[in-house]
This record gives sequence, structure tokens and C-alpha cells, in this order.
Amino acid sequence: MRRLALWTACAALGGCSLVPSAPKAHSIQSPVAVAQASHEYPGPVVHERVAGTAGGAVAAVRSFAGAYINWSAATVSADMRALAARSVGQARSIVALAAAQTAQDYELQRGGVANHGRVEAVAPLPGHARQYVVVTVERTTATNTTAYQGLAPAWHVAVATVSEVGPGQWAVSGWQPES
Amino acid sequence: MAITRPRPLAVLGLLGALLALTLGAPLLGLPLEFLGGGTSGSPCGAGSDTGIALGAPGAGVLAGASEYGGPGDPGSGVLGASGVNLAQHPDSYAELGGSTFQTATMMGGLPYMTPLRITWGSRSVIAYKRDFGFGGGPVDGSPRAIDLWWQLAGRLGIPYEDGLWSGRVRLERPPATGAASQFGAVPSGAAAAAGPAAAAACAPGGLEAVALTAGERAVLLSNGLAAAPAGAPPAVKGIIAAGNQIAGRPYLYGAAHGLPLSELAPAYDCSSSVEHLLYGGGLLPVGYGAASSALESFGAAGIGRWVTIYASPAHVFMYVAGLRWDTWAAGGPGDGSSGIGWHPLVRSSAGFVARHPVGL
Repeated sequence: MRRLALWTACAALGGCSLVPSAPKAHSIQSPVAVAQASHEYPGPVVHERVAGTAGGAVAAVRSFAGAYINWSAATVSADMRALAARSVGQARSIVALAAAQTAQDYELQRGGVANHGRVEAVAPLPGHARQYVVVTVERTTATNTTAYQGLAPAWHVAVATVSEVGPGQWAVSGWQPES
Repeated sequence: MAITRPRPLAVLGLLGALLALTLGAPLLGLPLEFLGGGTSGSPCGAGSDTGIALGAPGAGVLAGASEYGGPGDPGSGVLGASGVNLAQHPDSYAELGGSTFQTATMMGGLPYMTPLRITWGSRSVIAYKRDFGFGGGPVDGSPRAIDLWWQLAGRLGIPYEDGLWSGRVRLERPPATGAASQFGAVPSGAAAAAGPAAAAACAPGGLEAVALTAGERAVLLSNGLAAAPAGAPPAVKGIIAAGNQIAGRPYLYGAAHGLPLSELAPAYDCSSSVEHLLYGGGLLPVGYGAASSALESFGAAGIGRWVTIYASPAHVFMYVAGLRWDTWAAGGPGDGSSGIGWHPLVRSSAGFVARHPVGL
């Protein structure tokens, strides 16, 4: 009773870590119950195979960024699929999604849109281990539409996360464009 | 004589207050708002002062423009309000309408370095906002919204008149650039996740400007376009901007169906035009293309505060902030429109089902 009262008080205050242990019957949740809480249906962990890794974290980021920003309408879907194969985690998801979307992007294909650029800087993000700020300069062009005519190259920033996928081998596991 | 704005910044201190007293109301009457959020990224400095590339004529809205700077207008100097030397960055423009950055909002208060495609005659250029200014009266019936740095104006082929030229140009937001923008991976571009307001910024109206008017009712302008209520939700402004894109295009039964709603068709019918407007407001997906009867079940039943769609198996039209969008030449005094577009007069809604977008 006293323990319950303490827990109730803590819960009311919020942010309390002292909670009673859950009854054993609740410790095994159904997949549906887990999904309702986590928004993800639990399944077996699938270990991703990485098609290519880099010998250093910065090298992995530079390689990923360079591939991400250099493509044409004709190659973008295949380029992003290849990039997905050599990345893991959220980074793989985001470029796999880009591969799927660009394959069916009528405007992109019809306009002959291409994007080219260079990686200007990769710097560690202070206070965030294994995260890097990536600065690129990119120009988007098109062969069959005048919409991009005359547009100057533009600076862009992304935050990359890397993972060590093997001894001394690194791959990009997170990619969040900020501009 | 219309008061021009030869010097975006220098004259503001002394003349600003006087001009505000004499011209403030007419200037602020119809500001242009660009729907489309922030900038698409800053241009590379190394490229922006080495010449201005000419492009094919763009689309967009007609707006009043003037020029400033140059040898005949020494008072303007070369320093933009953003702190940039405009002589070193001739691809520059100033947004007009006020004596401070916060009040010079004839184009909605664009951030510095916002690119615009500016078309005059058969040429267009991309220019970047590096300045603001007070402006002056309307130009040929269009609100004066932009001041072109004299070298930029010259690149467009506009004759130099010692900073006194004024005329109308077309203004259009160019598409966002960069890989992340093309992939829709930039957070601000996640329109679908952010709801109709953000979606409107990425819809066709997102590249368009829309004139604004005070109050809660849209106003039919003399050129057949509509000015959106300044206080309307972004989705409503997006609908009106999309309507302005196709107002006056010919009616053709079955036209524009089968095309993505992001494309402009040479002609429209009732349902395809209404769907183009709804897409402009971020309320329909790009691939939507149903007949008028399908709109009988659109959104929620009844009349909306901002938008009401009247649909039947044979026809569909809608009211947006008090203006009727219709392909039906209902006629009557003041109606004035042949072809599709905005109509100030109401028409009978007998036989139609009233629907409205949820929340609008």
C-alpha cells in the first residue's frame, strides 16, 4: 500500500523513475499491443548486408553525400538503389524511398532534371557522437524544362550519422537533409 | 506622377514617413503574397556576381516594377539593405511596400536571398532579394511590388532611364533546387505530413503569387484575377492562386482530365478546373481526376466558411471566400467573364449538393 502510494505520487509529479515492477502477466505483450504502443509490428531482426563500406567515418559520409547529390533523371533511381545497398538504417530507408519515388516521378523524368554538386565540408557535430554536419553546393538543371534556367548553385546542409558495421568499417546509418 | 522608389534604403529615413502618410493605404491595398515558404537555399556567391543568365520567359503573375541604381541614380548608392554590395551582385531586387524589412511585404515578406524568376518581354532572369524599399503607386494597374537593380533590369533588356523606368514584369518562384528538395526529404517540404496549409505551399499555387485584399472576401480584379483575403488560411490563398493560374482559359468538355493536377492544361471543364483549384489548396492529390459527380461526396456536407463546392452529376462550381469559380457563363451585370474564371455574382444552387473541405 505504501509502495503504491509512493508510485502514485511520483506519477503525479511526472518524470519519476521509481515505478513498481509490472505484473508478470503483462510482461509478455502481444505483437498487436506492442504495435499499438510503438507503431511498429514486432518482427525478427533483419541484419542488413552492406554492399560497400569505408575505412573511416568521414570517408563514409563524403562518399554517401557525393552519391546523394550527383545524379540525373536517367540514373537517379538506380543510383539511389545502389546507395541504399551501401548504407544502413534510416539512411538506407531514405535513399530507398528516393529510389522508389524518383522511378515514378513524371515531372523529374519528363523535365530531364539532374542534380550535381560537391561536398564542401564534413565536420563532427559537437556533442553528438558519430554525427557529422555535411555542407554541399548543388546545382539543379534540366534538359526539357526551363524552370531551372539561370538558378545559381546553392548551399545545402545535412546531418549524417555513421555506424561501424565491421572492424574499422563504416557506413552511413542516418541522413537528415536540413535544407 | 507616380512616386517611384529610386533608392530602396537611403531615402527611407526622411521620405518614408511622409510617403507612408500619403501613399500608405493604396500601396498596402493589394500586396502580393508568394505561397511557398522559405528560400530554396542561398546561391553560391562565386556564381552570382559573374553575370546573369538569361532564360526563356516564365509564367507567374504580373506585378508593377521599377528600376533603381546606376549612374543616373547616384542617390541609391550600391549598398542593399541586406548589407550586400549590389554592384557586386547585380542579380538583386528589392521587395517594396514599406519602410522596414518587416513592412516591405508586397510579395509577402520574402526572406533575403529568395530567388524569383523575373520575366520581361521574351527574357527572364533569376534574381535574389537583397534589399527592400517603400515603392510607389500602381504600375499600369498592377501593384508596384518590386524594384530591379539597374543592371538586372538592363539584362532583361529594359532601357535604362536613370532609375525612373517603371513597367510590369512577371514574377514567379523558381522550383526548389538540390537533391534533398527533389527527393522531398527536406523537413520544410514535407507538405503531406504537415496538413493542407503546408501542402498549399507545394501545390501549383506554391509557385504563384496572389494579390491580397483586406477583409474576409476575395475581390475580383479588373484583369479577371482574384485577390485573396489577407487573413484567409493558406489553403484558401492556394486555391485562389491556382484559380488565377487558369482563369480565362477556354472551356472544353473533358479537357485536362488525365493530366496530373500539377500541370497546366490549355483548357478545362468544370470538374477539372475545380480539381485544379483544390489541388492548389493542397486538398487533392496530384493524380486525382474524377468527374463532377465524384465531388458530390468531397469533404464534408454543407456550406463551408471559406470554400463551398456545389456538385451535381452534370456540373460543379464553387465559392471561394465569396467569389464564385465557375465554367458556366451565368451572365448578368458585372459578371463579365466568358470562359472559366471568377464571378462576383451568385447563381442558383438548386439541384446541387453543397460540400466543403473539412476545416474550411
